[in-house]
Amino acid sequence: MAAEVKKGVDTTKNPIPFDLAQYPGPEMAKTYMPKVIAAIIKKAKRPLLVVGAELFDDPIMFDKAIEIGKTGIPIAATAHSVKGFVERGYLDNVYQIGLHPLTSYMRFDDWQGLDGKGPYDVVIYMGIFYKFANGMFSTLKHFKRDIKRVSIDRYYHINANMTFGNMAFDPDDYHAAVEEIIAALKK
Amino acid sequence: MGIRKCFIYFQPTQAAYIKEEEAKNSMATPEGSFSVEDMKNVQINIGAVVKEEEEWDQPMGPFPKPQVATLRNWDYTIMNRYHIMYCPADDTCTLCTYGPCDLTGNQKGACGIDIAGTCGKIVLIAVLMGTCAHTAHGRHLYHWCLDRFGDMKFDMGDEILVDAPLTQTILGIKPKSLKDYGEALEYCEEEIVQLLAATHSGQEGWYQDFESKALHSGMIDSLGKEICDMLQTVAYDMPRGEADAPLVEIGLGTLDQNKGVLIAYGHNLAAGAEAMIYAENQNLWEKVDIGGVCCTAIDLTRITETGRDSKIPKNLGPKAKVAGAMGWWRKMVRSGVMDAVMVDEQCVYCDVLEDCQKRHIPVIATNDKIMLGLPDRTNDPADQIVEDLVSFKMPGVAILDPVKAGEVGIRTAIAVKPKRAQYKQESLLTEAQFKEYLEKCTGCNQCAFVCPPHTSISMMIAEAKKGNLEPFSSSYETCVGCARCEVTCPQEIPILALYEYANREYIKNAKFKMRAGRGPVRDTEIRKVGAPIVLGTIPGVIAIIGCSNYPKGTKECYDIAKEFVDRGYIVVATGCMAMDMSLYKDEEGKTIWEQYGGAFDGRNICNIGSCVANAHIHGAAIKVATIFAHRNHRANYDDIADYILSKVGACGVAWGAFSQKAASIATGFNRLGVPAVVQPHSVIYRRTFMGRADKPEDWQVIDARDGSMQQIEPAPEAMLYIAETKEEAMLEMAKLCFRPSDNAMGRGIKLTHYCDISMKYFGKLPDDWHIFVRDVKDLPLAYQADMMKELEEKHGWKIDWKAKKFISGPLRPADVSFDPTNIPRKIRAKK
Ligand code: SF4
Ligand code: SF4
Ligand code: SF4
Repeated sequence: MAAEVKKGVDTTKNPIPFDLAQYPGPEMAKTYMPKVIAAIIKKAKRPLLVVGAELFDDPIMFDKAIEIGKTGIPIAATAHSVKGFVERGYLDNVYQIGLHPLTSYMRFDDWQGLDGKGPYDVVIYMGIFYKFANGMFSTLKHFKRDIKRVSIDRYYHINANMTFGNMAFDPDDYHAAVEEIIAALKK
Repeated sequence: MGIRKCFIYFQPTQAAYIKEEEAKNSMATPEGSFSVEDMKNVQINIGAVVKEEEEWDQPMGPFPKPQVATLRNWDYTIMNRYHIMYCPADDTCTLCTYGPCDLTGNQKGACGIDIAGTCGKIVLIAVLMGTCAHTAHGRHLYHWCLDRFGDMKFDMGDEILVDAPLTQTILGIKPKSLKDYGEALEYCEEEIVQLLAATHSGQEGWYQDFESKALHSGMIDSLGKEICDMLQTVAYDMPRGEADAPLVEIGLGTLDQNKGVLIAYGHNLAAGAEAMIYAENQNLWEKVDIGGVCCTAIDLTRITETGRDSKIPKNLGPKAKVAGAMGWWRKMVRSGVMDAVMVDEQCVYCDVLEDCQKRHIPVIATNDKIMLGLPDRTNDPADQIVEDLVSFKMPGVAILDPVKAGEVGIRTAIAVKPKRAQYKQESLLTEAQFKEYLEKCTGCNQCAFVCPPHTSISMMIAEAKKGNLEPFSSSYETCVGCARCEVTCPQEIPILALYEYANREYIKNAKFKMRAGRGPVRDTEIRKVGAPIVLGTIPGVIAIIGCSNYPKGTKECYDIAKEFVDRGYIVVATGCMAMDMSLYKDEEGKTIWEQYGGAFDGRNICNIGSCVANAHIHGAAIKVATIFAHRNHRANYDDIADYILSKVGACGVAWGAFSQKAASIATGFNRLGVPAVVQPHSVIYRRTFMGRADKPEDWQVIDARDGSMQQIEPAPEAMLYIAETKEEAMLEMAKLCFRPSDNAMGRGIKLTHYCDISMKYFGKLPDDWHIFVRDVKDLPLAYQADMMKELEEKHGWKIDWKAKKFISGPLRPADVSFDPTNIPRKIRAKK
């Protein structure tokens, strides 16, 4: 794994929506390398990591989310994913909220965030049922364009601003790509 | 659009809101009519004298037959609290020749519409599609029932006096015979035409008004459903709310393979019922089995169960079987169990003929809404049609006369059975073929890209190659049968046939029991549960409704139902979800219907009926307002909806929402003040209604006692909520049952379940439990001490520990006589 991290995983390949017919219009996400995505997250003033229930299908991703949380980025644990954090004893900056209400709140300029400290400028989705995440990205794409939409999920997310290509069937590469982001965030 | 707010907020206008007192004192005063004071019970309309019925003690309410804009103020009341949220599925529009227009972000189309407006238009069209399906179904049944049986007295039995709650609430009329529903249908049809016209270019352009129209359509949809179910309940003598409606057989294994098997698929029972009548009259049950698919299944099993006078044979319903919900169709057709298929209307896969033709299963189209390109043989002799089908001269026919279609269906199923034996054998995979197909898989995973529940088909195939069929078995119920994998697979592997092969034993043994649809909730039941519902001591009414496009399989229906019925909620179910939850048994071998009673009561579960029987769930909520709280419901829709929103802790869940009818049904519930939770695929329907718990000004209501404004907790917090998982859905459903009217005991019970579900599935208490606490007595006993500590330490509440009282903290004090309303005309004594 460490060697792979060094080499770097090409996350720009396969810009294919996971739901094949999911082509919304002329504005489509670009794929980026992990270090570019990490740089954008690092630059964010109010980033938010949003994770979903697909983490249960690949539990190691909980540990990776926690590592990101430990870099100071708060975590919105959507669906029932908070259980994974409870089980790992990490709740420091974890908030339990559904992705739907969370996205709904994010549309409003006057919403003060999960901690009451102000709106978010970069949201990072990971481990969320594809079609649902895509729909919620679409809401932000149209109605709250000043939030940067970042996906570090294993799918090409066409309605994000920045995403990986499709890696749904390359778990090792996907894990390595997320590791790369974590390493960059820790620097 | 950014977030735009419209300020048409409870502005009672002369036209829109007539004061209750005025309404009470006057006779019916719709425009174009006047009342003559001394001529009691006579209302003179221009050109017609309408005799008012003596037996109805309610005066005509303010809004008989509301038109497109009549209830707009109510819609804006909903939308100002529950903000419309869109997730556009397309960024472009191609609805006219100016297009395609790119509407991404703030861009406008050539016609001036923006993305919110376009979404609103598409939502309205989708809701209208559902509304039309139900209303047209009602129109067909209306003509058919009157033709077949003649006019019949509209009679719901002694225990149901509020017998057509939606018709009464929306139109202000009481139908006395089947014929009287003609007036209701005409009303629906006129509204539908007006609404559809609004979607034309150059008409409506404002998103909130599209949504107000969608809400109007949703209300018409609920009425269309009531018309359907009332007509068929009377004409076919279906149960009128019997808690012990018969248990009927469900599952592919119940269809006797020694007989000809006729499948009736769709929603309109007319032809299927005639097939049953034919089988009964000709004594053919030894030779034929009838299995229903989708809602036709539920309605066939409800026929002539009460023993009232009827023009058709007694106790027919339990002789039909339920093959399964619509999500099982493609799996069923591949299983080889059926010999002939009759389709009627709604939710029928468009390739039904192709699938059947491949397997030499003759198809009979029985309704002009689905003719499948088949020749219309309505006027040909039955003998000739049967001969053509049985000899496979033609793969199918259309017969638009239900009586003839029923006869042809039965005779064909019996006669074709031996003739298609060889084809049936050929259509089922052999072990060698199964293995051959497994070998063809290259592991390209293209199938997984299109599979809605993200099944890893290549992994299942890899395991099967090793001899392990378990993944094929365990994912059989998560597969929604969409066949997108088969269409996509470059190797042309018939993946659904692989499923069929791997699950043969399961199919053979799939034998379960389902309670037949019991129809309306009785007035007597409402009298018993009205107070506990409004006070909250029955923690809520959970309505499990709709289709079978589940995100993670059929079993979730059972899990959701079991969770809530075990907790003492009133659980009602309809349609495909009612069928699908029947496919599981407890340790004692009992299905959910055998585990619990079938009354409308806590710790009971009722199968209300098919999709159209959803109207009875609306009806039950209306009855709480009118029977328990003595509200006049006649032509008084917004008042009743306001009552339900504030006081009736009910929540719908459409965990397999699929068709546009799911969109219209949910929208109809929303206009009546009932929130709903839907599954994650529902983003495709684009629009939801979400509250903002962080904005106290959104949660101000009027106290009807004195007209003062009162802060309330965000309850219910959302109107249409999308959950990602069943766990999230269940937690939200428990939360959406909170109402401002809960008393301390009721709030305590509701909070207990909300917290328990969170502890069970989330491992912790929810972050927002404290906002629902008004008094120490609201706190669940099991958590009381810890919660009080947290309120003090984390939320800064001041507590008098000795007196066990809050000094400060709660949003408002608990007050049992608080009478929340959102409608100014409900104020009893103005300040
Ligand atoms: S209806 Fe309006 S937005 Fe749609 S294609 Fe025509 S001009 Fe463009
Ligand atoms: S038929 Fe079943 S396995 Fe195939 S794509 Fe549809 S849900 Fe997936
Ligand atoms: S698409 Fe066909 S060949 Fe490819 S993995 Fe799926 S079943 Fe195998």
